[in-house]
Amino acid sequence: MSTIEKLFSFEGKVIIITGAAGAIGSTAGHLFASLGANVVISDLNEEGAIKVAKEIEKESGKATLGIKTDATNEEDLEKLVSETIKKFGKISGLINNVGWGANTPIWESNSEKMVKSYLLNTVGSYNLTKMCMPYLEKEPNASVVFSGSLVGVSPSPEFIEYSTAKAGLMNMVRSMAVISGPRVRFNTVLIGSVDNGDSTLAAGYTPEMLKALSDMFVMKRRGTPVEIAYGMMFLMSDAAQWITGIDLRIDGGGSYKSKMPKKED
Amino acid sequence: MEINNLFNLKGKIAIVTGGGNGIGKSCALYLANAGASLAVSDLKLEDAQAVADEINAGGGKAIAVECNVTEDTHLVKLVEKTTSELGGVHILVNNAGGGGGGRESPYKISVDDFAWRFKLNVYSAWRLSQLCAPYMKEAGYGSIINITSMASINISPNMSAYASSKAALNHMTANLAMDYGVDKIRVNAVGPGATKTAALASVLTPEIEAKMLAHTPIKRLGDVEDIAGAVLYFASPVSEWVSGQVIFVNGGGVQTLD
Repeated sequence: MSTIEKLFSFEGKVIIITGAAGAIGSTAGHLFASLGANVVISDLNEEGAIKVAKEIEKESGKATLGIKTDATNEEDLEKLVSETIKKFGKISGLINNVGWGANTPIWESNSEKMVKSYLLNTVGSYNLTKMCMPYLEKEPNASVVFSGSLVGVSPSPEFIEYSTAKAGLMNMVRSMAVISGPRVRFNTVLIGSVDNGDSTLAAGYTPEMLKALSDMFVMKRRGTPVEIAYGMMFLMSDAAQWITGIDLRIDGGGSYKSKMPKKED
Repeated sequence: MEINNLFNLKGKIAIVTGGGNGIGKSCALYLANAGASLAVSDLKLEDAQAVADEINAGGGKAIAVECNVTEDTHLVKLVEKTTSELGGVHILVNNAGGGGGGRESPYKISVDDFAWRFKLNVYSAWRLSQLCAPYMKEAGYGSIINITSMASINISPNMSAYASSKAALNHMTANLAMDYGVDKIRVNAVGPGATKTAALASVLTPEIEAKMLAHTPIKRLGDVEDIAGAVLYFASPVSEWVSGQVIFVNGGGVQTLD
C-alpha cells in the first residue's frame, strides 16, 4: 500500500451518513464505500435510503445499512445507533449531513418555524452525535463532519430560519472540538451552491436563475456533490489527524458575492 | 474508486520552496508519492539535492534548485529551470518563510528587518505566483498553496512584523484566488500550529511544550506529515472547487511560545 493509499483508506471503518438519500449524502456514501468503509445510509425517505444502500452495496461489495430516520425524533436516532451497532459492532465516523431550509422572507417567520428549523438543522445533529460519542471514543482517529452552509456565515435574509440554525450548528461544532480531543475530531464543510440536478429546479429555480447564480462564483460554476464528498473524505481521513474545529469552505472561491438569486435578479 | 486515482498527480509538475527540510520536505515527498515531478528549492542546495535524490531513488522525478526567495533573479531562475527541465508548472507550494522565531520589540525593530520579513513571507509568494500563473493557465490546471502561520491570526507580544506579514499572506491568498479563479488556478493556504521541525526544536522546552498541549484538544504537537496532508488535498483535483481558503492544522488549539 502506498503512502497515499494508507492515508485515505477507510477499510474497517463504519460511517453513518444522515440525509444520505440526497445528492451529497449518497455521493459521500458511494465514495466512502469505494474506499473500504461500511456505510449506514440514513434518511427520512425510507425508500430512498434503502435504494441508495443497495446500490452502494452492489457497486462496492461492502455491506451497508439503509434506514429511515427522522432527525427530529430521538427514538429514531436511538434506533439508528442501535441498528448500526447490531449490524457492524462499531461507529468510526459520523457525517451529520441532514438539513433543510425554506425560503422565507425575513419578517414572515415565527416562533414555530424558527424552532422547527433549529430542531432539524442543529439539535438533531447534536442528539445523534451525543448518542454516537461512546462508540466514537473507542475508535482510532474517530471523526465527525457536519454539513454547514454559506448561509450560516453571510447575511441571508431570505433563509432566516435555516441560516440562523446553521450558524448555531457551526458554533456547536467548535465547542465539541475543543472538549473532545484527542479521541474524536469535529469539523464542518461549509458548502456553497451545489448542483443537485432536478431537486433545485423542483424547488422553483429556473435555469436562468441558476445560470446567474453560477456566474457569481469566481469559478463560474456551481459545485458538484462529489466535490463536497471529497472534502468530507479529507477531513475524516488519516491525512487530517491533527485537524479539528475548522470550517472547510467548498464554494468555488466565491463566498463573497454568491447568493440564491431572486426571480427579479 | 481507486484511492490513487483520486490523488493522481502524474504528469503534474510542482515547485516546493524551502523544500530541503521539515514541512517543505514532507510536502515534496507527498506530492512525489502522488506522482508529481518536483522542483525542490532551498536556500541550501545540498538540502534540496538530498530530497531530490530521495525522490529520484524512489522512482520519482525531481530536480534541486538553489534559491533565496528574497532575490527576484533567483525566483525567475527557479521558474525557468523548472519549466525548461520538467516541462511546465502546475503546483506551487510557497513554503519558504521565516522571521517568526525571533521576537522584535516595535521600539527596536529596524525598517530593514521589518521589510525583510515582508519580502520573505509575502513578496516571494506573490512573485512566484505571478511567474507560475501563465504556465498554469496554459495547462488548465493550477494550484498555489501558501504556507501561512497561526501567527497570522494570533495576537502575540513583539511579533508585529512577522504576524502582519503572515496576515498579509492570508489576505493575498483570497485576493489572488479571485483573480486567478477564472483560469482554473486555485489559491489556498495552510496554517500550521506548532509542528515538530528543527526550527521549533531550537526554542522548545518541556515546559513550553506542556503549556502548548494544555491548549491543544488533540494532545500532541504537529508532525510535518499533518501539514503535508492538507497541502496534498489542496494540490489534488479532489479540491477543484476550493479556492481562497486558509485552513489551520493545529490540533484544534493555539500553541504559543509565551
